[in-house]
Amino acid sequence: MKLVAEIFMYAVFAAVVGALSVWPSYELVDENHAIVSLVFSHAGERIGECRKFSQEELNKLPPNMRKPADCPRERHPVRIELRSGDRVLYEETLPPSGIWADGKASIYQRMMVSSGAHELFVGMNDSGEQSGFDYEKSVTLDLAPGRNLVIRFDAQTQGFLIR
Amino acid sequence: MIARLHRLGRAFFGVLRRPMARAFDAAENPLNHLGAMTIFFLWIVLISGIWLLIFFRTSVSGAFESVEYLTREQWYLGGIMRSLHRYASDAAIITILLHIVKEFVFNRYRSNRWFTWVTGIPLVWMIFVLGITGYWLVWDELAQYVAITSAELMDSIPIFTDSMAGNFLSDDLLSNRFFTLMAFLHLIGLPIFLVFGIWLHVFRLNGPRINPARRLMAASLIAMLVLSALYPAISHEQAELAMTPQSLRLDWFYLHVYPLVQIWSPGWVWVFLVGISTVIVIAPWAPPQKKEQAALVTLDFCNGCERCVDDCPFGAVEMVPRTDGTNYTHQAGVDPDLCISCGICVGACPTATPFRSRGELLPGIDLPDRMASALREDIIAAGKQGESPHVIVFACRDDQQVQEIEKAGLSFVKVNCMGQLPPSYVDFTLSRGHADGVLLLGCLDGNCSYRYGAEWTEQRLARQRDPMLRRRVDMSRVAIGWQAPWSENSGVVQKYEAFLRSLQQ
Repeated sequence: MKLVAEIFMYAVFAAVVGALSVWPSYELVDENHAIVSLVFSHAGERIGECRKFSQEELNKLPPNMRKPADCPRERHPVRIELRSGDRVLYEETLPPSGIWADGKASIYQRMMVSSGAHELFVGMNDSGEQSGFDYEKSVTLDLAPGRNLVIRFDAQTQGFLIR
Repeated sequence: MIARLHRLGRAFFGVLRRPMARAFDAAENPLNHLGAMTIFFLWIVLISGIWLLIFFRTSVSGAFESVEYLTREQWYLGGIMRSLHRYASDAAIITILLHIVKEFVFNRYRSNRWFTWVTGIPLVWMIFVLGITGYWLVWDELAQYVAITSAELMDSIPIFTDSMAGNFLSDDLLSNRFFTLMAFLHLIGLPIFLVFGIWLHVFRLNGPRINPARRLMAASLIAMLVLSALYPAISHEQAELAMTPQSLRLDWFYLHVYPLVQIWSPGWVWVFLVGISTVIVIAPWAPPQKKEQAALVTLDFCNGCERCVDDCPFGAVEMVPRTDGTNYTHQAGVDPDLCISCGICVGACPTATPFRSRGELLPGIDLPDRMASALREDIIAAGKQGESPHVIVFACRDDQQVQEIEKAGLSFVKVNCMGQLPPSYVDFTLSRGHADGVLLLGCLDGNCSYRYGAEWTEQRLARQRDPMLRRRVDMSRVAIGWQAPWSENSGVVQKYEAFLRSLQQ
């Protein structure tokens, strides 16, 4: 009798291990939905123009401190907007990173959208202008259910990549 | 609040105990060996993991393919090993959780036991990270989810400029190097820290039990093997970063926090995890407790026999060079930072004898808060007052049974731990006529609040361990009633009455 009880206890233990190892299943994305991911880091423009040092000013500086121009370190925040048709999916102004606000602004956003046709527009302003975008891209595409669409900004081509 | 939590936890173990006690003897009851069971499951994980490592390929496509090969084509060995690897690591989470709860509810985490308690927390973190990186290596849809969510968690720590999670959103950014790094972490880096962590965790314990009973090990292994054969672990579809899986079979033992990343945010999940860990870390000092005085060595009666060193479950006593100029080479030395005042060293001391007639009863090592002389006085006070047969009950202070004994109005003497009672006190109680019988009530083997109190007492009474009970003691007049500490109704009065009847016969 004790042996039966012992076997039963081990069976219960194994059943709990086996069950919780896979069950219940977790629904990650709603049915008929896709994910749009906006992912990149980008440094905004510097907040001011560089000023060239005059020869007189350069002479006053110690030799190891001499440089051709004095540039402000701080950068403008980066404003981003992502729309599907008239619907705004994401709109944010991202501050530059770093103690001196001289680093890149980073964005990582994943948004669930309904699958099907979308007219996507993504725009970015990095020059501190209040309106308009310095970079933008529009695309019409058909998002399959479960699709993971990634939008990046490519620093080399200075344009958006939508994959 | 804490006392209420303790009571709740004890009630939970009380519920668990009933079916477990029907199925297992004390020596093979998994509830008595939770820490050792965890280590045993980790052994299974290690050995099965070595087999998986032989076939595992550290590349984006090779990772999934090699695991599929093991699961499908080499199902009879590789598939079983994979399932065993997974289920043993899941089982380890159950035993770890119960181990933590048990130590908490039975108050075995305070005082000088804080070190063992606190060093257990990084171990839990390490085991979770090991499990999570393991799921990562399969590189199926679950791995994709685990990789993205883990990276989102890392990204929320403000030390990285570029998003780590962004690397797991398209296939072109993922390199084979990444799998080499993960494999290194999972197979070498973390296991090395884990082994070191386990060593540190038991560092302050004398004779830590790291292996459960053989039958328990064998039966647990068989249970895991049967589960692996009947319900083998399988992968999801291969990871495809352009797609997001809709439904996943999560391993809730390791990944229970991950859905919270989507429901709350990565930042709040960190607050939750760090918050829980912090609460657990500070638990030994919340609220602060008055520290009992450590055992005290009286050199006049210490002959350096080393029995206290052998018996101390916490390594608090060690032999040090003699300081009093006598011919003995060594003397006992107590480290107050390790001593938890259980008194087991007093029970081991051959000079702790109540028969001493000359001078003060001062053994070589004694507890200032519960002296050997006070024990003798308590025996005399609880002694015969005319009735016959008369039984004196010795009970551990931490035992639930103490309340029942007090309520029943039995003659009893309280000790810090049953291991504090030198066998000579049993002899003294009977031979000097203070009682006709002695009933020892303490915690069942594997549940002693001070680890070895029950075991050492049994061995001393059975004349297998120094100091031994004298042969003249009639063992029919000595009864032992070990009880699991979570028992609500230990039946102490029934045990007492049964023993009384046996004495009358």
